[in-house]
Amino acid sequence: MSILIDEKTRVVVQGITGRMGAVQTMHMLKAGTKITAGVTPGRGGARVEGVPVYDSVEEAMAEQEINTSVLFVPAPVAEESCMEAVDAGVKLLILITEHIPTHDTMRIRAYVRSHGARLIGPTTPGVVTPGKCKIGIMPTILFTPGPVGIISRSGTMSYEMAGLLSTQGIGQTTMVGMGGDPVVGTSLVELLELFQKDRATRVVVVHGEIGGTQEESAAAFIRQKMTKPVIAYMTGKVALEGSRMGHAGAVFVGKRGAMENKIKAFREAGVPIADSPGEIAGLVRKALKA
Amino acid sequence: MLLYEYEAKRLFKEQGISIPQGEVAKSASEAAEIARKIGKPVTIKAQVLALPGVEAGNNQTAGGPEEARRMAEGVLKKPFGGQLVSELLVEESLPFQKEIHVAIRVDGAAGAPLVMASLERLSDLDEEVKASAKAASAHADPFHGLKSHEARKMAKALGFTGDAAVKLADQFHRLYKAYAKWNALTAGFNPLVMTPEGNFSASGAFLELDDSALFRFPQFRELSLSRILDPLAREGKTIGVTYVGLEGDIGIICTGAGIGMATVDLISKRSRPANFLETGGGITEKQMADVMRLVLKKPGLKGVFLNMYGGINPIHEGAKGVVKVIREDKVKIPVVAKAIGNFQEETWEILEEGGVTVIKTIPTDQAVEELFKRLGK
Repeated sequence: MSILIDEKTRVVVQGITGRMGAVQTMHMLKAGTKITAGVTPGRGGARVEGVPVYDSVEEAMAEQEINTSVLFVPAPVAEESCMEAVDAGVKLLILITEHIPTHDTMRIRAYVRSHGARLIGPTTPGVVTPGKCKIGIMPTILFTPGPVGIISRSGTMSYEMAGLLSTQGIGQTTMVGMGGDPVVGTSLVELLELFQKDRATRVVVVHGEIGGTQEESAAAFIRQKMTKPVIAYMTGKVALEGSRMGHAGAVFVGKRGAMENKIKAFREAGVPIADSPGEIAGLVRKALKA
Repeated sequence: MLLYEYEAKRLFKEQGISIPQGEVAKSASEAAEIARKIGKPVTIKAQVLALPGVEAGNNQTAGGPEEARRMAEGVLKKPFGGQLVSELLVEESLPFQKEIHVAIRVDGAAGAPLVMASLERLSDLDEEVKASAKAASAHADPFHGLKSHEARKMAKALGFTGDAAVKLADQFHRLYKAYAKWNALTAGFNPLVMTPEGNFSASGAFLELDDSALFRFPQFRELSLSRILDPLAREGKTIGVTYVGLEGDIGIICTGAGIGMATVDLISKRSRPANFLETGGGITEKQMADVMRLVLKKPGLKGVFLNMYGGINPIHEGAKGVVKVIREDKVKIPVVAKAIGNFQEETWEILEEGGVTVIKTIPTDQAVEELFKRLGK
């Protein structure tokens, strides 16, 4: 079991002929992901890594089995591309693209949700269910199958967390990169809800950072609804007020988005917080035994 | 990208928002001249780039041109809020019967803009707006904007009635239009005043643009670089990376924001990082060479620590840039690198041949320990 993606997932790659799209398609295929089509307007009929390319998602859907789209499109056309996927009937969109204007992202999010689809990202490394399906840019070697769910606001931190667990013999059900922007398609609470329902997931590890209020909302959800143990690791303890720490969403002004609130909320919800990445595996092991 | 108040006001004026009569002065005599033209008491505001909500506290009122000149002399070329003041906004001091503080920002949880207004100056508009009886708020729709009836409801909630409520709602609406038009992250009036005649005027204004949306606004895209005050951060921006200057002496280079923050946090436990730097995706040999040279510019550096993941990034290409700089610039301080992911073996070989201490295990904690060992800490 897993969340969001598994062996039944059939993927269309939007922006497949771009440099990043082509390279990552190769890595995803190697990881066993079933990519049935690619889309780049004007490039219909081409092939990338053996995958047939179509001019539109609609045309790809007419000929191939598709339920998920991963987008490597340039930021200025991300909004159009997401709407195209939704209009064609795609139910899960994984938006890798960085630096999308926040106003565009707000519209993308609203459009996807009002059409009964789900958006992960933007600025996400993607989603991986180890051994079954990898959609995104993460290094495959760091992930192994097992009982731990991972949710991260950062690509590189998700790699570190999965790698640390894997080398300790602790595998993962699914890792979801939430995305580092101020507005993301699927919230931390919604992802925790999915892991709570997933029978194979026994412990969830969350990487949070400064900015926004996702961790505070998650703490409230964990206290009220979550029966599975959650472990947190937080980054951005040493940050300058008002400076965006690499992610557009990683910024605090005064109390808003500050680390203290988040740590306090998790503590009050009984969530153990790893002080460094090296402590994560120990806390997870303890939770798995309990 | 933060705008100066006078820039925000110009953009608001295009949206039909009335602003006090005024001009920008770059010298004391210009300030006096503008005050003379206005012919009324003026407010002198030092123009600095400040975060919306951060209290500027830099306004002074002058009765006439000579007082304006003296005040300008006291402020110009002097530091304020960590910046050297080079421009003043000199504008008419409006008599007012009420002031309304208004802010629009992105509400990440709702995925929509949140419009907030209050009759009091709140230290944190966001935190307190819900608790205050003298405040009101509404979410705008990402597609349809701030609906007129929502704006009128807010005006009424603040105690305005009849014509005044309609006029105030119109100001909220116009502010939202400007916010949407410029793809802003935050916009607001600090404050909007209601004059004794019952008219509204934006006596204070702020606007923060979204760096990711600047491709739509070439005029600001060109300016944005000059708005980064730290020269090293500015250079980082031109290279295409995020650099945040910190006060220590250990240079940090990371290939992602999350691992970058984790690294800064960990090093700070026992030592002090000189900077936060994250490359984002798509590094090249040339970019990593530029990044090394940028980090090495900080005086008194004792060591450099790299934390690299090969996911979207070709770290073996990046490694070539790192060792190139070590060789060409004869770098003598210790360079410690952790590199994991696609092409890791190749990366390790390149780095080790270039004299870098390479950490081949995952926990950043252990890698940082190695760095401290090399530094004798």
